[in-house]
Amino acid sequence: MPVSGIVLTCTATSAEGIALQLAELDGVEVHGVLPDGKIVAVVEADTVDGEVAVVTGLQEMEGVISVQLAYHNFEELEAEQL
Amino acid sequence: MGLTRRDFIKASAAAAAFAAVGVPVVRPKGVDAAETGITWGKAPCRYCGVGCSVLVGVKGGKIVSTKGDPAGPVNKGLNCIKGYFLSKALYGKDRLTKPLIRKGNKMVEASWDEALNLIASKYGKAIAEHGPDSVAMYGSGQWTVQEGYAASKLMKGGIGTNNLEPNARLCMASAVVAFMNTFGSDEPMGCYDDLDLGDTYILWGANMAEAHPVLFSRLIDNKLKHPKVRLIDIATRRTRTTKMADEYIAMRPQGDLAALNAIIHVILRDKLYDGAFIKQHVSFKRGKENAPYGLKDKEAFNETPADVKNLSFDEYKELMKKFTPQWGEKISGIPAKKIEELALVYTDKSRKVNSLWTMGVNQHSRGVWVNNLIYNLHLLTGKICKPGENPLSLTGQPSACGTAREVGTFAHRLPSDMVVMNEAHRKKTAGIWGIDPNKIPAKVGLHTMEMFRAIDRNELKCIWIQCTNPFQSLPNLSRLRKAAEARKAFIVVSDIYPTRSTELADVILPSASWVEKEGVFGNTERRTQQWFKMIDAPGQAKEDVWQLIEFAKRMGLGHLFPYSEKGLHREIWEEYRKFTIGSGKDLAPYEAYTKVRGLRWPVKPDGKETRWRYTEADDPYVKKGEGIKFYKAPGNKVNVWFRPYEPPAESPDKDYPFWFCTGRLLEHWHTGTMTGRVPELKRAVSGATIELHPEDAKRLGIRNRDQVRITSRRGSIVLPAEINGRSTPEKGNVFTTFFDETKLINELCIDAFDPLSKEPDFKKCAVKVKKA
Repeated sequence: MPVSGIVLTCTATSAEGIALQLAELDGVEVHGVLPDGKIVAVVEADTVDGEVAVVTGLQEMEGVISVQLAYHNFEELEAEQL
Repeated sequence: MGLTRRDFIKASAAAAAFAAVGVPVVRPKGVDAAETGITWGKAPCRYCGVGCSVLVGVKGGKIVSTKGDPAGPVNKGLNCIKGYFLSKALYGKDRLTKPLIRKGNKMVEASWDEALNLIASKYGKAIAEHGPDSVAMYGSGQWTVQEGYAASKLMKGGIGTNNLEPNARLCMASAVVAFMNTFGSDEPMGCYDDLDLGDTYILWGANMAEAHPVLFSRLIDNKLKHPKVRLIDIATRRTRTTKMADEYIAMRPQGDLAALNAIIHVILRDKLYDGAFIKQHVSFKRGKENAPYGLKDKEAFNETPADVKNLSFDEYKELMKKFTPQWGEKISGIPAKKIEELALVYTDKSRKVNSLWTMGVNQHSRGVWVNNLIYNLHLLTGKICKPGENPLSLTGQPSACGTAREVGTFAHRLPSDMVVMNEAHRKKTAGIWGIDPNKIPAKVGLHTMEMFRAIDRNELKCIWIQCTNPFQSLPNLSRLRKAAEARKAFIVVSDIYPTRSTELADVILPSASWVEKEGVFGNTERRTQQWFKMIDAPGQAKEDVWQLIEFAKRMGLGHLFPYSEKGLHREIWEEYRKFTIGSGKDLAPYEAYTKVRGLRWPVKPDGKETRWRYTEADDPYVKKGEGIKFYKAPGNKVNVWFRPYEPPAESPDKDYPFWFCTGRLLEHWHTGTMTGRVPELKRAVSGATIELHPEDAKRLGIRNRDQVRITSRRGSIVLPAEINGRSTPEKGNVFTTFFDETKLINELCIDAFDPLSKEPDFKKCAVKVKKA
């Protein structure tokens, strides 16, 4: 299963609310909410396909300015899944 | 219960994300063990011109992990969503792995020897029968510096033709011409630091949030930290960028030419300019006007020194009197009051003002003029060459700057700002290349549009395309594809996947990509970044520079490439570097780049980089006490050009009532050959759509996702409608993307181009729209 570490930049007032919504999503773990509106999260899914579906959804959330990728590990994937 | 290896990988992912936002974390014991066996190497990202640094993790000969590089000053540990696809773009199932030769309608596997011998025999025959100008090469702003350099030396110094072009003609050529005719040297004075240090950012037709997401994030970080920061989005379409802007100003297509002139009018009228700066640094010029649009084959237009008139400041002011804010409003649609306000923003002494632009300005039938007018604003107000206060032309390809522009793979250029028309430049080049100066022709080669039209005219017999997809990306595409389908020229395409261009090839060569080879890219902010080969290319795929040199050997030109196999990339670099020393674009020895995350040229004798060109504080070419010195411009004076309004080549009318504009999306890059391969990307944004304004859609009875037929004078296409989606064009405008290989959108685009830069206008033509 691929794993990615991401940073969401949110408008300052919406970060906490967004973090609560993220916690409800399958495959997303919130690791921290920073005072400046940034959220650190870890995303995992069965495939990279699944990861991107999650991240694309996050990008469209109200209050999310951007989603950026810090770390991506996909070594357990078989070649066909790549 | 103990922690699993997976837990440690997740801890590692979180730690990397925390580190990127500046929160120190202690990596738990076991994290390092979880990453055992992974070897990490640095590389600039393969996709856009921003030049983010990536750490690539390799295990067992495969890429297994990527990280935003914490040591990378551009992106500081974070990549955009395209980072998910970096490695996957190399592992698509349909990767090209063997040379293929056309036999009738079939492509048949061949050995490298057979393929290269065939290419050499076709090129040799064409040159013998029709001369060297009957052959060409079409390369890329995605070529490494070494690939572009080898191509230039081969074509210009070996074969003896200037028929060498990069696809950057389609994206950066207007920016280049304006840098040259304003400052006497290509590429910006400022750098990305200006995104952190300024407080006012005016975007001219640029959807930076999607096209340059990492830079936009830097800008937004600055804004979130500093309440003074203001972002003004002037555009024809509301986008993700608009959502973050303090102000959105709607503008009609081509309206930039009028709005900029009207803003300058106000600055002159109200004496808001910086007189001392102007006196010391500026000359006023008027160029050739009533220019054509390049729609006729071989339509010649040049602005020679004889066509340029020197103006006094008073004469310039007089000429600008007619461009009132009311006149500006009439043409641009921007209210006169707003034009007055923008003049006050640009001249506010308490504000550090930056202009940002990209394809909206460059892919423009008067793109050079718009670039010139933006520079005029900064030169008249002296808001230039200062930390946090500069104009910045954003680029789209990873080495449009490093390769296409600095190496000079255009039909008129030689390395380091030199041109083929200049005898001294040809002599200097020939000296470094060890050839007779007469070998390099003084005649400018075919620019991109003429190169492909020349196939249709049966004038060009052979063309080799590397690392780009012109038979999807060129405008007025049908004519050019039909000529190729009629086999009017012998076409070679080197690429990593099948594309709409390989399907028209006589020979397809499988290339190595990104970290399957060693290379150097140069980004938007003059940053030169090197990487080493980390994995093997699949099958028999070979890097483009190898392909070029093997071809050269078969053309009897092997002596031009006397490099060792092991030291190839380093030795090419050191030879190329000779061009840059003393040119103001000085590059460092290869070794230096292997250790750092890039250096911004000119690199100083002590090995340090330059952040702000032309400034005493930072640029080694400016002496103490000189302040700002535009040392590459004649007499150290830069040009403020008088550039009037001229209409686009085609405007909406009764029959074709809508403006048609094309562009990019966050999730896809260019023609999609590297992002379209990735299934999930296609799923997120499955195919091209046509964006309409909701009122236009309602009037035409079109609902979201309805199939819509869009027709121009050149072609017709059906796309699903997108209404109130991520972006919304202004009324009377429709927008689509060009990544979708199943829809040849560019068949609709007009092949009008800027008369000075020869860059096509992909942003403006007329179409009709109806429910399919």
